Amino acid sequence: MRVSKIAVFAAALASASAFAADVKIGVAEALTGGAAQYGVAIRNGFQLAADELNAKGGVNGNKIQLLIEDEQGKKEEAINVFKKLIFQDKVLMIFGPTLSNSMFAAGPVANAAKTVAFGTSNTANGITDIGPYIFRDSVMESDVLPVTVASAVKHYGIKKVAVIYGNDDAFTKSGYDVFKNVLEKQKIPVTTTETYVKGDVDFKAQLTKIKAGNPDAVVCSCLAEEAANIMLQARGLGMKQPFIGGNGFNSPKLFEVSKLAGEGTFVGSPWANTNPAPANVHFVSAYKQKYGADPNQFSAQAYDAMYIVADALKNVKLSGNVEADRQALREALPKVSINGATGPFRFRPAAGKDGKPAGFDADQKPFIYIIQGGKFTLYAGK
Amino acid sequence: MMDFEAFWATYNSLIYTVGIHMLLALSIWLTLACGLLSLANAAFMGIGAYTAALLTLNLGWPFPVVLAAGALAPAAVALLIGVPTLRLSGVYLAMATLAFGEVSRVTILNLDITGGPEGLNGIPLLTEWWHIALILLVVGYGLARLRRSRTGRAFEAIKEDEVAARLMGINVDRHKLVAFTLGAVIAGLAGALNAHYTFFISPREYGFENAVDILTMTVLGGISTLVGPVLGAAILTLLPELLRFLHDYRLAVNGVILVLVVLFLPTGLWDSRRIRAWFKRRDGA
Amino acid sequence: MLEQQLLNALTLGSVYALFALGFTLVFGVLAVINLSHGAVFMVGSYAALIVVTRFDAPLWLGMLAAMAVSGTIGLLVDLLILKPLRARNAPHLIPMIATIGVTIVLTNAAQGLFGVEVQRFPDEILPAWDFNIGDVHVRALELGIVAISFLLMAALFAALRRTQLGRALRAIAESPKAAALLGINVEGLFHLTSFVAAALGGVAGVLIGLDFNAITPFMGQPILHKGIAVIILGGMGDIRGALIGGLFLGFAEVFAKGYISSQMGDAVAFGLLFLILLVRPSGLFGRVLERKA
Repeated sequence: MRVSKIAVFAAALASASAFAADVKIGVAEALTGGAAQYGVAIRNGFQLAADELNAKGGVNGNKIQLLIEDEQGKKEEAINVFKKLIFQDKVLMIFGPTLSNSMFAAGPVANAAKTVAFGTSNTANGITDIGPYIFRDSVMESDVLPVTVASAVKHYGIKKVAVIYGNDDAFTKSGYDVFKNVLEKQKIPVTTTETYVKGDVDFKAQLTKIKAGNPDAVVCSCLAEEAANIMLQARGLGMKQPFIGGNGFNSPKLFEVSKLAGEGTFVGSPWANTNPAPANVHFVSAYKQKYGADPNQFSAQAYDAMYIVADALKNVKLSGNVEADRQALREALPKVSINGATGPFRFRPAAGKDGKPAGFDADQKPFIYIIQGGKFTLYAGK
Repeated sequence: MMDFEAFWATYNSLIYTVGIHMLLALSIWLTLACGLLSLANAAFMGIGAYTAALLTLNLGWPFPVVLAAGALAPAAVALLIGVPTLRLSGVYLAMATLAFGEVSRVTILNLDITGGPEGLNGIPLLTEWWHIALILLVVGYGLARLRRSRTGRAFEAIKEDEVAARLMGINVDRHKLVAFTLGAVIAGLAGALNAHYTFFISPREYGFENAVDILTMTVLGGISTLVGPVLGAAILTLLPELLRFLHDYRLAVNGVILVLVVLFLPTGLWDSRRIRAWFKRRDGA
Repeated sequence: MLEQQLLNALTLGSVYALFALGFTLVFGVLAVINLSHGAVFMVGSYAALIVVTRFDAPLWLGMLAAMAVSGTIGLLVDLLILKPLRARNAPHLIPMIATIGVTIVLTNAAQGLFGVEVQRFPDEILPAWDFNIGDVHVRALELGIVAISFLLMAALFAALRRTQLGRALRAIAESPKAAALLGINVEGLFHLTSFVAAALGGVAGVLIGLDFNAITPFMGQPILHKGIAVIILGGMGDIRGALIGGLFLGFAEVFAKGYISSQMGDAVAFGLLFLILLVRPSGLFGRVLERKA
């Protein structure tokens, strides 16, 4: 026992001598495997923001050092990576992981170690119920979809809709649950509810059935790739109805595949690439310059998250004792309010399950888009 | 250098996972020892995990009882499907068990109580290192005893030649069912233990890929003794961590190793005869 | 709606059959369940994609490239892995596991080389001919896939029945040892079969990649599972069975989705497979292939 206390003391001394130079922040994202298409964009967002901050001399003179680890989108890997970052690398906090599933597995580890885990892409319900050290700046579907549906219903005078969603994917299924709720609340009858599974590419059986019910619009809780193929095949079957989509639609991929098949679609998003706010204009051009590609919502939310943490760090006096510093950051974070690439941002305490202490969700209003001429066109701003 | 506490805090769940994979490898070893190629063990693991997690979350039963239920539920399913399926031979059995695995996965996916694709979260941390160690020891000891028993010799006979075994008066069907069901018990235990230290379970952890992973560990290690599956599980769990520096290509190395072992060590890494021969040669020299 | 669903089922069934052709051919001749067929199919897609996008080549060249690349991989797998295992008389489980290793390597290599992003053939590569017959919407590409599946099946079937080569292959399928005694070059035909089957997999990769509008390193896995169901339904190693099994599965899935519940789609494929194995242990249309290696 004594030996280990001395070791801890020595470690504290060692980090005390280093803390003036670097703030170590862990990044645990899926950089390989199927979820890598999000994880890589997210990592780019963090890196861009950290480079910008460091170029301006860091936060309070401390440079930000990102420790990036691949969690592969697997729960066991996410736990391993979190433990490595927290107990071995002694990071101040962790960004990630990419998927909600991984957060459900790794979040409790960070929470028990009193270390902030900050998700930028976890939209599932219950994420912040894990505990008071869990934060996210990703906007939940339940904040976006009611606005999207109401806008579309008003615009088209919709009386009844059909629903299609992916039923083996946590993201599309939880999106469907929200849609179902919203449609019930707004009293819009559903002609038929159809499902598909990941890897499906032939949706004609389901669409033929939807067409037979003759709805005014098709509500679709799908990822962009699948949504695009669904739109194409729907048009192929002679269906003219507009689509209403969830967060999964927010990708340039939608148009790469669907071309003009998605005309008239309504989508809600926490981020608009055309948002003229200065922070966003700067972000879009800086991202393009650094990575030679257009940013997406995931990189925007990661970029903002880094600035949210930097803003909190301005008010934190780092002591060099990693436990005290982690706690100080945890106390400073909820007070942050910034104008980022995704617009004005602040946190809102999560309700929590059974009165247990919970973390913080994003308090943001969505942008509503209508797709016109193969482009997202702002329908109603924040 | 890291002191032990920090090392343990960092790597304990990895070490737990090694133990869980050892149990899974032993569970399929049991069926292979009886000449059955079953791909149902990932599904049995899932049934065990879901049963246990649901009991903990909804009824708050004590952990030992939960573990027992996690072992018995897949055993009951194994008994039920075992009677008709185990008549099939070779690849047909493999395919039928694969189909069973997929049907189980789709069922879990479409039930409400299982949380569908979103899985179950907020499962409390109840598994401790000695639970896994103890169960591993008991299973290992039990299987070692079994191998040397009448039943074990009957398994061996069935694996070598089913027709001959039948002619010798061995009740082939019953022995197969015993191996299949005991395998389900071990896989279910592994699932129940795993659910209680990863906080979260979802249907995609118990699919075809996972069944193949389990099989791979056992075949890599070798099925001639109990050491083989245990060794194979340890290697295939730790290797990806050690290969982290290879980044994008580290899984490819896994595949290459699998092919090389099949080609050059056809009886697996641990073949008792080869090991004995090696020691003899050393003693002689 | 019924007419459209019938057409939907026919195209989906043909897609399954097209994939299963090479898969079942290898099993029929080599008695190996080659689980790398899905990965070889994926590699074929990428080979054509690269030829078409990087070198601006026409589609038929891409198709040839897919056949060459996939076929070569199939041949290499046979030469480097399956042949030594045959020589050693390994139990039939072992080659199957080796092909799982091949799948892992190919999938991961594709991920490293091409990334995980979904890619697709450029639009202009194939004119989007579609037309309506009454209420039924028809795409030319899908008709093409149906036609190619039937044609390839017929050609393979005829080749196996009518030619000297086919007779040799069928002799091997019965017993490689007896075939060798008859003076048939068994090893050579094993290599040829592996090449042809993988090349067929490559063709399927291109056509299905075009139809599905999505090429990823993981595209081989879901269709491999369906392929397994197809060849068991149709009777393993039976060329006609691949088509019958594929169509059977396609119709079962589409009608389950269309008239029962779309949640049932996947459960139908495997539930059917499970039940059919229980009732007819050798598949719906097959006979048990009893052969000692």
